[in-house]
This record gives sequence, structure tokens and C-alpha cells, in this order.
Amino acid sequence: MESMFKSVPHWYALSTVAYLVAGVLFILALRGLSSQETAKRGNIYGIVGMAIAVGATLANKEASFHPALIGAILIAVVIGATMALRVGMTAMPQMVALLHSFVGLAAVLVGFSLQLHLDATRHLAVDFDLPMAEKIETYIDVIIGAITTTGSVLAFLKLRGSVSGKPLLLPARHFLNLAMMIAIVALGVMYGQKAELWKLLAAAGIACVLGVHLVAAIGGADMPVVVSMLNSYSGWTAAAAGFMLHNDLLIITGALVGSSGAILSYIMCRAMNRSIWNVIFGGFGAAPPKVDKKAPAQPAGEVQEIDALELATKLKESKNVIIVPGFGMAASRAQHAVREMTDVLRKQGVNVRFAIHPVAGRLPGHMNVLLAEANVPYDIVLEMDEINQDFPITDVAIVIGANDIVNPAAEEDPTSPIAGMPVLQVWKAHLVIVNKRSRGAGYAGIDNPLFYKPATKMLFGDSKDAIEKVVAALKS
Amino acid sequence: MKLGIVKETRPEERRVAASPNVVAKWIKAGWNVAVERGAGEAASYPDSQFEAAGATLVPRAEAWTADIVLKVRPPETAEADQLRDGGTLISFFYPAENEALLAKLAAKKMTLIAMDCVPRISRAQKMDALSSMQNIAGYRAVIEAANRFGSFFTGQFTAAGKVPPGKILIIGAGVAGLAALGAGKGLGAIVRAFDVRAAAEEQVKSLGGEFLTVTVKEAGEGQGGYAKEMSKEFLEAEYALFRQQAKEVDVVITTALIPGRPAPKLWFKDMVEMMRPGSIVVDLAAERGGNCEYTKPGEVVDVNGVQVIGFTDLPSRMAHVASEFYGMNLWHLLDEMGGHANYKIDHENDAVRPALVLEKGEKRWPAPPMKKAEAPAAAKPAAPAPAPAPKPAVTTTPAKSSGHHGPPARAPSRASGIVMSVVGLIAAGLWIYLRFAGDPGALGSVEMTELIQRMTVFVMAVFIGFQVVWNVTPALHTPLMSVTHAISGIIVVGGLLAGSGKLDNAVIVAVAATLFATINIAGGFIVTRRMLAMFRK
Repeated sequence: MESMFKSVPHWYALSTVAYLVAGVLFILALRGLSSQETAKRGNIYGIVGMAIAVGATLANKEASFHPALIGAILIAVVIGATMALRVGMTAMPQMVALLHSFVGLAAVLVGFSLQLHLDATRHLAVDFDLPMAEKIETYIDVIIGAITTTGSVLAFLKLRGSVSGKPLLLPARHFLNLAMMIAIVALGVMYGQKAELWKLLAAAGIACVLGVHLVAAIGGADMPVVVSMLNSYSGWTAAAAGFMLHNDLLIITGALVGSSGAILSYIMCRAMNRSIWNVIFGGFGAAPPKVDKKAPAQPAGEVQEIDALELATKLKESKNVIIVPGFGMAASRAQHAVREMTDVLRKQGVNVRFAIHPVAGRLPGHMNVLLAEANVPYDIVLEMDEINQDFPITDVAIVIGANDIVNPAAEEDPTSPIAGMPVLQVWKAHLVIVNKRSRGAGYAGIDNPLFYKPATKMLFGDSKDAIEKVVAALKS
Repeated sequence: MKLGIVKETRPEERRVAASPNVVAKWIKAGWNVAVERGAGEAASYPDSQFEAAGATLVPRAEAWTADIVLKVRPPETAEADQLRDGGTLISFFYPAENEALLAKLAAKKMTLIAMDCVPRISRAQKMDALSSMQNIAGYRAVIEAANRFGSFFTGQFTAAGKVPPGKILIIGAGVAGLAALGAGKGLGAIVRAFDVRAAAEEQVKSLGGEFLTVTVKEAGEGQGGYAKEMSKEFLEAEYALFRQQAKEVDVVITTALIPGRPAPKLWFKDMVEMMRPGSIVVDLAAERGGNCEYTKPGEVVDVNGVQVIGFTDLPSRMAHVASEFYGMNLWHLLDEMGGHANYKIDHENDAVRPALVLEKGEKRWPAPPMKKAEAPAAAKPAAPAPAPAPKPAVTTTPAKSSGHHGPPARAPSRASGIVMSVVGLIAAGLWIYLRFAGDPGALGSVEMTELIQRMTVFVMAVFIGFQVVWNVTPALHTPLMSVTHAISGIIVVGGLLAGSGKLDNAVIVAVAATLFATINIAGGFIVTRRMLAMFRK
């Protein structure tokens, strides 16, 4: 081995340094994202780091890179840029999910490429095999990558609405999961004895099914958790690839991304008062109160309606208004109308603020991005903890397309499926306006006693139309 | 031993040193209690009630010559002559301001305990008459304001029209300020409280008030006279806040006091003039000169329709309950001094010693510092009124409180917990790995070393990731995800490394990997840029 060190090529030392620099830049990139002021700089650090990493890799004179690689990179940049520039902010969740699947897919492909390289050398010596460490690493890389890929694709389809958001709960799903895990481990042991392509393919196939099955069992309301969890997986995949390729930069970056996704999932789960296991496995063991079709004991009652004109009058008379946006605002692209209403009211001296629940929307921070897109200043957009105590002194709380995150049952009804989940206490405001397309239940399928409270008035209709009418009434 | 309860003679003073309830407790404890005829009448405690409680009703001169004379206000000079030589007097006294009277009592070899000198430590709270009176004054301040305010405190929606709730601003969230806050909320008003102490925020919020404070940006670093500049800037910011509030609020209640000094002026003439006609200022510091420049002690001043109330007798306006409270404070004091059975002056008692002004004519005030004094922090929450002016240094801390501190504050312990479990999992993985690869041939020592190195890098990176990401504000979670996507496109390096050689299957697959990874890089960075460009203040 001594000779190896003597013959360490010049580029190798250089690339090690370059990788180190890139790793540090990635850390700075994540750190930059901690506040709005530094976020843009953080993004630039990331870009520079990536350029250095790719450049240093390509500078390897000993490797004979195939020119097709350069072509692939150029094509991919065009595709990626087009996607990124054309995606609407309301479609961000889908875009994010799709990008996850690409990371997973790339990792799987890298694993297979290594296996194919190995097979190519087998022509020379049949008994040739990879060292044990590399076999395990390759195997893990492919498995996590495959789960990420198919899981993300399904998440993408669910978020886009191509597939129903309802959780698919097969009768023996825990057993199925377990069986697939065992099969994967068994194949892994076999692969450890001799690295052969078919074993890897079979394992990847099972992992693909597992990925689909895991995500299929998760309901629409839990999508933010799934998305951030897949984010985490894609990071661990990259880290596994790093072990496989003996590349420290991949390990570092993968670990950064992996832990970042894990934290986001944890934050989301805490915001819903559920454990990560409960979300992933839909209640392992002691099944949590699942939503019945329609529990008869639910508080059916009379709702009071309000029209845009009356609401405009109420708003003009108020001092403090809090707007609570939910997925419904995103779905009908009402954020611009909402911003216009905010502007009109603020000009008249009304203190308008936004209350964002951590799991509002389908993606962590989804609402913030939408409101930012509509030019709502971020200093009037507040987190749940910052604003929840202000509802009692609020004249009007306007709930736009949100349901579960403002459901008083979470605090009042211990048998509710969302009991204990922290919610925005809009019902403490003097007047609560709930904008809803129809009288249906929320994403979690739970009836909302908020609608029947005496201080609640319903503004039925598509969010965008309804708010635009209010704006017109305010201006007249 | 005989306790003497005398009638207060100062005009507008309706309180009496104890209520019949308290007298009954003393009688039960073995004391003799002599009550001057008519002592409790102004506080709605007729003589008959004292008699029923077991006290002896006596003429004035006899009450004044009791062993221990209990009183609310300091005695008038003429009254002091009536006191028995060598006797004891317990009352509010303000020894720093009443030196002539003090000399007179000293000449009579008297023992004097000043209720206003009871230390503000938690053990002495039960006998802290200043606090109990401040509490009453704070409540009464709101009542006086409501009495003169021409509208509702609580908002009303009626067929005849809509009335917004009244707004009350309280300056100083001490005992009086918090009592006023509670009373104002009880009447349905919107109550805001200003205080320079960060600790007050929690108390204000717990009572349902809005907390106002001033955040001062640091002016130049490390220069001389730093604190002084700070204080000037701070005061300016504070006054700016007050001027802004003056236009909004209906009632201002000021409670700022500095022990042993005139009350700080903080509600200036122009602020009063900015207020809407019909608004009210209640100055609880009136007796000490007032916080408001228009305040005339004991009077109500009308400034263009704004009434500035400078009553100095607010507790006395609620004489019934004030007498009960004051009496209970006295009861606890006597109890602390040994009660009827073991009554004595104990210099070691740190709850009583500071209040001891004269002992048999010997001056014992101010008391020397106690050896085992209770931490001053304990007394702070009970402080009657904060002094905004003299202590601006405190204000550097409350800068940007609340805010995002919630989750991240708890984060480190949680994060380290998660990190520890990750480390545990990795250790377990390593062990399994070693078991698996029992074949020494396949697992050379060099490879083992390399693996351990990689593990180290991995664990360190996970740790850094946890540390860095905990601080990300929730509003940026989506951009964070997209930037991590772009970064996880680093797997392109893997694709590149696997894509060398001639174009066989392996290389084709590697090219595909490169393609997908690069889509991620380009897409992730660009979409992040787009999103971040949208965030504006």
C-alpha cells in the first residue's frame, strides 16, 4: 500500500482540497437559509460549491470521461432550468417531489453502473468480486435510492392530483412491509456472497414496490411530512453513494441533506402532535382513532352565511384582522387577491397579519412562499406561536381554504382524530369568517365544529372569486 | 400588652389601622386591643363591630398611650406628643423625609417600626403594606378613570351603533400596574403595559395585556460613555413610543417611582396635549410629584378636555378593604415578631430588622446589610413600580424577544438526542458489518481504516447538518428543501466517476445518472433563487 501513497496523483490532492471547500460551502449554504436576509447569499454559496465539486471531478486526468457525460450535463441544465423557471408557486410541492425522485434515480443508476463495470471485468476473471464493504455499500445505495424514487413519484402524482390523496390501507400492509424488508435483507445476504446483477435488480424491484406502498398508505394531510422525509432519504442515498465510491464529498453532502430532511420531518410531526412512526406506518400497533365515514355524533348544526358586501363593511370597521391561509388558497390561486385585500385594508389603517400553521399547505413553508410570490411583506406573516395569543384581541379572523389547522376539536374533543394537534385558535376572535368552496369536510375528513360557532360566518365559494368580490366591495 | 388603634386625623384619610376581623384575631391571640371611638367609621367599620370583636372602646388619649400604637399615616406633630414615653409606634413613616418627627420620637425614647421600610423579600411579603396599598391604588386608578371617562370600556355592538373598546396604557407593570391591568381587562378594555424589565412581559401577558417595550439598537461598539449614549437613545425611543400611544389610547395610568427620589417625569405636556379630549391620565406617583408634567397632587387638572388625575389618596378611597389589608399586614408583622407570647425586637430577623427605625430612642435606621440576605432577585417581581429612567442598561436584553425563539431554544437538547441515536445506529451498523465480514481476507486492515475514516466524516457531517438546520426559520422551509435538492445533486460526482471508459452499458447508465442529477442541480438552484427573490420586507 505504501506505493499507493507515493503514486498519489497530483489531481487527487487537489481534488481533495476542492471537495473540502465545496463541503464547507454547502454548510454555509444551509446556514444562509436560516434567515431571509442571508438566504440569497446561501444559495450562491451552494452554486459555487457545486461548480467547484463538478469542476474538480472533471479535472481528473487519469479518468477517461466519456464525452456523452458532458452532453448529458448540458441537456440536463436546460431541462432543469426550464422546469424551474416555468413551475408555478402553487405547483411547488409537485416539483419538489419530482426532484426527490431524480436524486433517488441517479443514485440507483450509479449503483447499477458500478455493478455493470464489475460484470465487464468478470469477462477477464470469473471469480473476481468486489470487497465486502463495497458490496454492502452498493446494495444499500440502490435500496434507499429505489425507495426514494418510486415513493417520490407517487408523492408527485398525489400532490398533482393525478392520484387520489386518500390513504391506501391494504389489510395486511404491515405484514407486506415486513415481508418486503425480509426479502431485501435476504437478497442482501446473497449479494454479499457474490455480487451479481440479477440480485441487485430483484432487490431494487422490491424496494420500488416498498416505496410505492409506504407512500400510498399516507394521507393527504400528512404530505408535508412525506415530502420532507423523502428529502431526507435522498440525502442518505447520496451519503451511501459516497461510501460506495469512497468519496468524502458525497458523504458530507448526503449527510447534510439527510439530517436537514429529518429535522423538517420532525418539525412537521411535532406541529401535528404525531410521532414520525404514526405518520409513516399510519398507526403501528395500537391503531389511532381512524376517521370513520361520518361519525353521527359530529356537531351538525346551522351555519350562518355572510356575503362579500357585508364582510367588506365588517372589515372596514375593524382594527385587527388576521388571515389564516390554507391549501384552499393555493388551490384556487387566491394569493394575489388576498394580497390586494390586505393592501386596501392596510391603507385604511387596519392591522392585517397572516397566521401560518406549520403544516398549512402541502409542503413545509408552502404558504410563506405563496404569500411572498404575491408580494406580501414577510414581516406581517407570522408563525403560529407568535400570533396565537393575539386572536382574543382580533376583530376579524379570515380563514381561507384551511380547515384542520383551525379545528377547535383538536383542543376540545379528546376523541377527535386530531386531538392534541396544536391549532390556530381563530375561534377566539370576535368574528370568524371561513371561506370554503363547499360544505365538505377537510383533508383529514373531520367535521369542524368551528363552522357552527355563533361567532363564525361562512363565505362560501371559490377563494379567488370570493376574495376578489370582497376587494371590489372594499374599493366601492 | 395593649395594642392601641387610633383614628386617623389627616384630612381625606379614611383608613384605620385594622378591621374588626383582624382585631378579633389579636384578641384570640391574647392581646388587649383598645380602639379609639369612631376610629373605623370612615372605613365603614362602626364601633359596635370592634366591640363585638372583643376590643375595648376608649377615648382618644387612652388609645394613644397604649403599649403599641398602630396607625396608618405618620403621626402629626401634635399627636406625637400624646404618645407614651418608651412606647412603640407602628405606621407608615418615611423616616428619610420626617427627620423632625423622628427626632421628637427619639427624645421620647420610643420604638418605631416603619411599615414602608419592610424589606421586599419574599418572606416579608405578607407584611408588605406598600404592596397591598399599591394593589388597591392600581385597581382604584382604573375605577377613577372609568368614572370620568365618557364611554364604555368594553366594546359594544348595539342597535344604536358600535363603540370600540377603550384603550388603557399602563406605564410600569409593578404591583399597581398589574392590578390596574387586571381591573382594566375586567372592565373589557384593551390594556397595554409598558415596562423596561423584560421579566414584566410574562406577567403582563399572563393577565391578558399587551406588552410594550422599547428596543434600542446598539449605538457604536466599544466606545466610551456607551451606557450613557444608550440611555439617551433609549429614552428617546421610549418617548417616541409614548407619543405614538398618546394619540391612540383613552386612559394612561402612570406608576413609575424611584425609592427615595421624586417620581420621574415621563408623560410630558405635549403628550397630554396629543391625547383626544375626554381622555384620562391617572398619575399614581402624584404624591411624589407625579410622572405627568401636568399633575397637581390631590387634584384633577383639565387640559383641553383631558383630565389629569393626581389623587394621592387612592387606597383611602377604598378604605374598607384597605384597612382590612393593612390590618392583616400588621397582624403578620406582630406575628413575625413573636406574637403576643414572645413579642420582642430581634435584630437577627431579616424580615423585621430593616423596618426598625428607633429602638428605645436609639436610631437603628438604616439597617446594616444582612449577612445572609435573600437574593435581591426574589424581591424584584414585587417591586412596586419600576423606574424606567435610571436603569436603561436593562433594555439591551429584551431586544427581540418572543419571535422565533420557541422551537430553536428547545432544539439543542432534542437535536443532540437525535444525534446520539444516529451515532448509536451507526455503531450498531458497524458492528453488524464486522460480523458479516468475518472473513479476514476480504476485509483488509487498510480498508477497515478507510471505512472508519468515512464513518467519522459521515457522523461529523450529520452533526453539522443538525446544528445548521435547526436555525432555519419555518418561513424558509420550502427554499431550504429546494436548495438541499440542488445540493443532493452532488451525486452527479458519482455519475461522472462511474462514467469513464468506453461506451458500454455501465457508462450509459452512468450518463443517465449524470443527467438526472444535473437536472436536480440546475432546477434546485434556480427555483430557490426564484423563491428567495420574492421574499421582501
